[in-house]
Amino acid sequence: MKDTYILGIESSCDETSASIVKNGREEIATVISSQIDIHKDFGGVVPEIASRNHVKNVTLVLEECLDKANMTMDDIDAIAITYGPGLIGSLLIGLEAAKTLAFIHNKPLIPVHHIAGHIYANSLVKELTFPLLAVVVSGGHTELIEMKDHYDFNKLGGTLDDAIGECYDKVARVINLEYPGGPKLDKLAHIGKPTYRLPIPLKDDSYNFSFSGLKSAVINLAHNEEQRGRELNKEDLAASFQEVAIKSITNKVKKAVIDKNIKTVIVAGGVAANQGLREEMEKLRDELGFDLSIPPMKYCTDNGTMIAAAGYYAYKLGRRADYYLNSASSTKLN
Amino acid sequence: MKTLYIDTSSNYLYTAIVEDNNLIAEVKKEYGHELSKYALPDIVGMFESTNTEPKSIERIIVVNGPGSFTGIRIGITIAKTYAWSLNIPITTITSLEAMMLSCKVNKYYVPAIDARRGYVFSAIYSDKKEQILAPCHIKIEDLEQKLKDIDDYIIVTNDEVEITGEKTSYDPDIRLIVDYFKDKENINPHAVNPDYLKLTEAEESKLND
Repeated sequence: MKDTYILGIESSCDETSASIVKNGREEIATVISSQIDIHKDFGGVVPEIASRNHVKNVTLVLEECLDKANMTMDDIDAIAITYGPGLIGSLLIGLEAAKTLAFIHNKPLIPVHHIAGHIYANSLVKELTFPLLAVVVSGGHTELIEMKDHYDFNKLGGTLDDAIGECYDKVARVINLEYPGGPKLDKLAHIGKPTYRLPIPLKDDSYNFSFSGLKSAVINLAHNEEQRGRELNKEDLAASFQEVAIKSITNKVKKAVIDKNIKTVIVAGGVAANQGLREEMEKLRDELGFDLSIPPMKYCTDNGTMIAAAGYYAYKLGRRADYYLNSASSTKLN
Repeated sequence: MKTLYIDTSSNYLYTAIVEDNNLIAEVKKEYGHELSKYALPDIVGMFESTNTEPKSIERIIVVNGPGSFTGIRIGITIAKTYAWSLNIPITTITSLEAMMLSCKVNKYYVPAIDARRGYVFSAIYSDKKEQILAPCHIKIEDLEQKLKDIDDYIIVTNDEVEITGEKTSYDPDIRLIVDYFKDKENINPHAVNPDYLKLTEAEESKLND
């Protein structure tokens, strides 16, 4: 069978990335231009600044990716592009570049949902087997998705307010960790002990999550300790927060695995890099005996590789976009 | 010489293919927020209706601003990707130059684009098309101050801007614009970027801190 090479382009937030993936499984070359150092000064991603940097970087990233792969556009079978969700101004840069390349080189254009990308990052590690449960955890998402086949997404539940990654960043700010604080909070949690009492959010029968109450509880706790003139132990607070936040996720994962008779669980999204979550998911795997797949760190954050991987399976299913494809800041996974 | 012209710096898509001083295809359409959806399909439409091969384009001229930040980026991204990938010479011009050139009245030219909060993006050109005031982000009062010493000028604008003086609307003469810039130096496609003439609000408030 002839090999299929997909060029994946991702620009939904503050990373401009391009990658070439062979047959949906094998990474040939990837380039990621991250703007973290630029946005750090502003305490978070500034959309207009992100867009300005994407347009500066986009052709440089594409060129470097093709050079690294030692390929030209003639070697590419199709172009996969993140059309949403994400920052609209950022998404547009990747989208216009992808549409232009598809036109001038007469290649199929494959629309890829950003979350599908995070899920398919796992296919770079091992082939997805169904039925599976995808635990999508990132700065913008906290969702449990049941998949019975490729591109068959059944959302079991999701966050009712803040996403888990967003909650991590906000709590990190309470204890003065520099943006992006989530990963730093994860590190601190491993030093401290869970001595502070925090409520486990949304202990109910649904597959939903809620993190804004937990965030408020942390803010209140920090405030109360300050009023009492007691110094907040940052490591212990991080450990206490992490324990509760992760527990609220694994509780619902456990319920879904049992209810839906799930054999494979994959973790997807930026928070999949969280060490605490990885450890707890492994414990749950040992307890329930499912197959667990968590992508390596490099595939957890936003990248073109996962878009190319997801694009391959979409390509095989005959999914195509025309030149009217537009970016969408929020859009349903399908 | 076959030139592709792209301007997405306003609510309008202005694009054309010009061959040896002849306009062979042209699109002038108002899209507003839908520009990102329609810009490329309309460009493709020009190629299809004239049986033009993408590889046969010998030069690209793209407007790099000032104007709508998102709008500018759409045209620039299409143009730089095209030029880089097919190795086609490319150059940029400003929206204000395009506005000045398209006005056929023989006076001093004051192209103006609404920049909100009492500001405009503007420039002043003499009747001989020499630049008197470089493109800038300027308070309307300050622009009017600079216009005081000029006897006969015309404001070229498609926006509701309250600048004292005679006004005319802007309808680009793309054939003429392309011809005017036929000898302008080309630049590396990677260096083709918007010239916003204004920092982002986040950067401005940081400077004011």
